[in-house]
Amino acid sequence: MDELKFRRHAYEEPSCQDDDFLAAMQAAPEREAFVNELKKLDNKLERALKIDVPDDLAAKLLLNQQLHQHQRLRRKSGFTLALVASIAFIAGISFTLLRMAPVDLGQHALTHVYHETKALTLDRDVSVKDVNFQLASMGTLGNAKFTQQPGKVYYSTFCDFQGVKSLHLVMEGDQGKVTLFIVPIEARMVLEHAFKDNKYNGRGFTTDKAYMLLVSEKNVDLGHVKQEIQQIFI
Amino acid sequence: MFNRLRNKKPASSVNSDMLSKQRRYDSLVRALHADIFRYAYWLCGDKHIAEDITQETFLRAWRSLESLKDDKAAKAWLITIVRRENARRFERKQFDYSDIEQDQLEDHISSSTEDNAEQHLIRRQISRLAIEYREPLILQVIGGFSGEEIATILQLNRNTVMTRLFRARNQLKELIEQPQVRGQSNG
Repeated sequence: MDELKFRRHAYEEPSCQDDDFLAAMQAAPEREAFVNELKKLDNKLERALKIDVPDDLAAKLLLNQQLHQHQRLRRKSGFTLALVASIAFIAGISFTLLRMAPVDLGQHALTHVYHETKALTLDRDVSVKDVNFQLASMGTLGNAKFTQQPGKVYYSTFCDFQGVKSLHLVMEGDQGKVTLFIVPIEARMVLEHAFKDNKYNGRGFTTDKAYMLLVSEKNVDLGHVKQEIQQIFI
Repeated sequence: MFNRLRNKKPASSVNSDMLSKQRRYDSLVRALHADIFRYAYWLCGDKHIAEDITQETFLRAWRSLESLKDDKAAKAWLITIVRRENARRFERKQFDYSDIEQDQLEDHISSSTEDNAEQHLIRRQISRLAIEYREPLILQVIGGFSGEEIATILQLNRNTVMTRLFRARNQLKELIEQPQVRGQSNG
């Protein structure tokens, strides 16, 4: 290592521990003194560079990070709240819209019959007085009532037609049991005059204040029952 | 409320993850904040700005702590962030700093003792050093980085770094040994 290279190296890195640098340094006492002088300079520099650090800097840094983290969690939970709120809102809207959609009374009547199978097996022998009492207590049918006993009534109860309180009756017909639904008139209802599926068939007609839906076994002629009810239900 | 609900299921693993991240961060802050603060100071020349830069640096470090794979590389990683933060300072506000004397350091109350006076002088000289010479020198002296590592941090050639180190020491040595004496001629 020549003198120039050595001196350059010493300036670049006085505390270098490379073997050839150390060997070059030990080759001459002037060189060693020269390096020591530079090391002394480095010590001074180091002391000068190490300015005082504010005592509480570490604590401040940690505090800042904690606050930051806290805020981020809060922002996140705000987002979750908004998400939950909008889901609830959408659910509410769609439920309302669903209830406002037109209701096909015929299909609903058939579904209801299938659903409430026990209605066709019970035998309670309800009197016309009780039926009229139930009609009156619905409050939506005005003074509608049966003027006389419409044959034997096996079953009578309130039921729900897409949110509309209705009356569900099972009566004795000429050729078997006939189910009658009395549904207060409402704009969104759609009434079919005849409907059926592969087990039951039905007829629908309107009186002043109510839709009347008759459902019976497939082969039963409902025309007669319909006429009879039209006469005694006012 | 939602927080509690949400945290309930994966609570154990998430919390322990968070805890170990926090612990790692704590030790990082305690071990390296002094070096980072000093580095920021010698970059910008102002204690308050240096503190701000340090805050920003450690916040960024927290956000991307996952990207630090090797803890031994933490110091170089943080210094890279400090340098970026310092550069952003100039992007944000275009103040003209050239008017301000960069070597106006805090006055040391007890500059009466010779030692402090000398240190004050050296600090002045360091801050007079051009930034491209100052930076590698700081990295070498207080960062303890090798020429190779400095080259990586500063994205320079190793030879360039060594040349700058040479010039930095050369200039400082001259400045300290023969303080500028202006307008004075002896003899």
